[in-house]
Amino acid sequence: MNIYFYIIRRMAYMIPILLGVCLVIFFLFNVVAPDPAMIMLGKHATAKQILEVRKELGLDRPWFSQYLDIVKSSFTFDFGRSWSTKQEIVDMIKNGAIPSLTVAIPAFIIATILSIVISMFVAFYRGSLLDKMTVFVCVALMSLSSLAYILFGQWFFAFKLGWFEISGYEPVFPQIISYVALPVIIWVILEVGPDVRFYRTVVLDEVYQDYVRTARSKGLSEKVILFKHILKNAMIPIITSIIIQIPFLILGALLLESFFGIPGLGGITLNAINSSDFPVIKAMTVLSAVAFIIFSVITDVMYTLVDPRIRLK
Amino acid sequence: MENVQTSTNINFTPRITPKSKSLWQHAWTQLKKDKLAMLALTVVTLYSLIAILSALGVIATGFDKEVGASYMAPNLEHILGTDIFGRSVWDKMIKSTEVAMSVGLVTAVISIFIGVLLGSIAGYFGGLLDELIVWFYTTVSSIPGIMLLVAITFIMGKGLFAMYLALGLTSWVSLCRLIRGEVMRHKDREYVQAASSVGCGDFRKLFVHILPNVLHIVIINFSLQFQVAIKSEVILSYLGLGVQGRPSWGTMIDDSKLELARGVWWQLFAASIAMFIVVLAFSILGDALRDALDPKLKGK
Amino acid sequence: MSERILEVKDLVVEFNTDRGRITAVDGVSLELNKGETLGIVGESGSGKSVTALAIMRLIASPPGHISKGEIKFKDKDLLKLSIEEMRKIRGNKVAMIFQEPMTSLNPVYTIGNQIEEVVELHQPHLAKNARHLKAIELLKLVGIPSPEKRIIEYPHQLSGGMRQRVMIAMSLACEPDILIADEPTTALDVTIQAQILDLMRKLQKELGMGIIFITHDLGVVAEMCNQVAVMYCGQIVEKADVKTLFANPKHPYTKGLIHSIPSFDSTSGMKKEKLPTIEGMVPSLFDLPPGCSFQDRCKYATETCRGMNGRPKLEMVGSDHLVSCFNPIN
Repeated sequence: MNIYFYIIRRMAYMIPILLGVCLVIFFLFNVVAPDPAMIMLGKHATAKQILEVRKELGLDRPWFSQYLDIVKSSFTFDFGRSWSTKQEIVDMIKNGAIPSLTVAIPAFIIATILSIVISMFVAFYRGSLLDKMTVFVCVALMSLSSLAYILFGQWFFAFKLGWFEISGYEPVFPQIISYVALPVIIWVILEVGPDVRFYRTVVLDEVYQDYVRTARSKGLSEKVILFKHILKNAMIPIITSIIIQIPFLILGALLLESFFGIPGLGGITLNAINSSDFPVIKAMTVLSAVAFIIFSVITDVMYTLVDPRIRLK
Repeated sequence: MENVQTSTNINFTPRITPKSKSLWQHAWTQLKKDKLAMLALTVVTLYSLIAILSALGVIATGFDKEVGASYMAPNLEHILGTDIFGRSVWDKMIKSTEVAMSVGLVTAVISIFIGVLLGSIAGYFGGLLDELIVWFYTTVSSIPGIMLLVAITFIMGKGLFAMYLALGLTSWVSLCRLIRGEVMRHKDREYVQAASSVGCGDFRKLFVHILPNVLHIVIINFSLQFQVAIKSEVILSYLGLGVQGRPSWGTMIDDSKLELARGVWWQLFAASIAMFIVVLAFSILGDALRDALDPKLKGK
Repeated sequence: MSERILEVKDLVVEFNTDRGRITAVDGVSLELNKGETLGIVGESGSGKSVTALAIMRLIASPPGHISKGEIKFKDKDLLKLSIEEMRKIRGNKVAMIFQEPMTSLNPVYTIGNQIEEVVELHQPHLAKNARHLKAIELLKLVGIPSPEKRIIEYPHQLSGGMRQRVMIAMSLACEPDILIADEPTTALDVTIQAQILDLMRKLQKELGMGIIFITHDLGVVAEMCNQVAVMYCGQIVEKADVKTLFANPKHPYTKGLIHSIPSFDSTSGMKKEKLPTIEGMVPSLFDLPPGCSFQDRCKYATETCRGMNGRPKLEMVGSDHLVSCFNPIN
């Protein structure tokens, strides 16, 4: 079986998953959620008003066609209009994507590189006090609430020291740096803990393999063994975990964006949650699920390309 | 020993220690030697005790009473100061332990129940049932957790019960995957065949014979779920979907976002530290449990 | 007598474990001559592999360390070399192959790449192209068919026997003086096993290296070795040339091992009778009995063996025949 066939088969499996995602969204928002008409009109609405709104929102149609609408939107990305802002949701997404990415991309790149460097370093000095301390610091960093980092960071660095701005995002260089820097730093701190822990385990799993002993018996130095033999093996799970994180960048960081006034997708989502804006919530859910499904296919395909051991069934 | 050596190699009976301990005894011995893990266990026990005592109304009964002026800084009488309504932050922090521990416990129980049930059924029966369950959890894991949480709390309304259910229903996938894989590995082992040869049915084989052998994964997962749930409570509270009308670390941290600009740091401090200690303890305990119970997962 | 290339004197290797310190190798002395093969025989846990790793100075530290002894390669004491100097010896003058051909090669590099790596390291004057040709040459030498094609394959594309051939090719890349083979055929099928042994004998004749052959299989020893050392619980219990050892074993353990090799009746091709086995189990290194370590499994054991005389010393019982036993067999 060749790789193209594998890719096609793997892509075909996206369809039942996507239908499943739409089914879950449909079930949660169209079947069991409280009636949107009631939410929009409040408690004192008359039956006639409710009927009109339901008709306007297309909620009087059969369930199956309501489900089909969601499926259709996941292919066309035509999500209709927001209930609260009345804007086309596609436009909201387009406008929100760039601000989200100005935070997400630098944070992701810095966090990934930093984590790989730190984890290789501690793996080289495995078992030492330095190694143990690093692992402990990682666990400790992960034990604080992300909200605590944000609140403390805003209060201390932005409010007390005045180094950064916390609202009024300006999408022009170089002003943008003072808006984006602090959320990026906080993101990196939140990400480095779990990443270092995972990468370190991956590297250490390789350290005790037989091929490492062979490499030593050839007379290779520990540095060459770590950076040539072990790293290439460890990169396979590491790259996999990096790629699969990418779809989560699309939603941006919900909390960070709302705290720092960045008009990105995360902020839009959060507003939608606060105002029970179902179409926007549904759109964001579909969007991130589609991204996740696509990237898990990419991950699987990459995996088979990078690892010579994997033979396709 | 009467066995006959038939191969060209000389095979000897493998060396075994005279009294072989069970996995659990061995793990406990190892855990007891790990001072940090024992400290973590003590912390977890202490928090549980505080939570139970506060639920029974023995301690922190004055959490909703006005004990002084608004926003009193920490002092000898109120070591963590007071909040906007002049309530003792210390008492609120203690009372919040109840919410945190119950959220951790109930969430972990729900997610373990779903994860173990679906995972073991998928792994054991295979076939269409397996494909259906795999499809289901792949679907669920494709949807960002926060969106599912939000949707479920929309439906259930706000409050503690909705939070239990939302967190429980969104956190079972990874355990389900692990259990499925592990049950698959076990179901063709000799001991399971032996069980079927004496007439055990499928459910007996699965729940009596196989599951005890994958229980260690559940234990490790429990301590992980517990701390993730405690952390999630804070996020849900910030989103306004958390507990209502009673203190929790999440609501305390949420309140503090307006207080910091006025220099009122103690509510954020109290809730963060209280949460930090118990989450850290669960993480350390989880790592130690993993090392003790599942040597192959060990990052040596 | 031919040139002596390796002399291990009174080697002691200890490991710190959770349950305390154990002595995995306890005062082992060995000699190896150029062009000859020394067999080290023993059960798992007897210290034979640890001895081999100690010669390469590949004992993982922690938990292990070489606490005493001398390993003289030609006129150098390997234990006195710096790490850099030792690295120049490894893979170059002293090479090693291992028991697990399936996992001993790096899965993400081609076999050519892995062979060329060792050439590049120890013979840096060779150009890239020359290295490549040398790798092909080596693969041909170890009997891998169409080496030009195989050289770009990954380990998983080869069978276990082929992988062990690659390991051998890699170890011979710099024409070492000593090849240490740690159970090289244990993980292989019997027919493949015979092929690999043939190959090693052929290469030894061509290249003239000394081989230390570690195994638990006395049949293989009879086929491969000139000298044999039998190890038990970290010590050598008997050492002799191969003929003497098989004809006239002095230690009850050696005798037990020899008797548990199945033999076939040449006329009927059937097994003659039930094979005798050595009863009992190897004692744990954590609680060795006082006196001889073999006492519990030995039918000749007396009060002397169980007494407070310590472990028996290795003593000369014939020309080049040493045994450590209070009651050697006559």
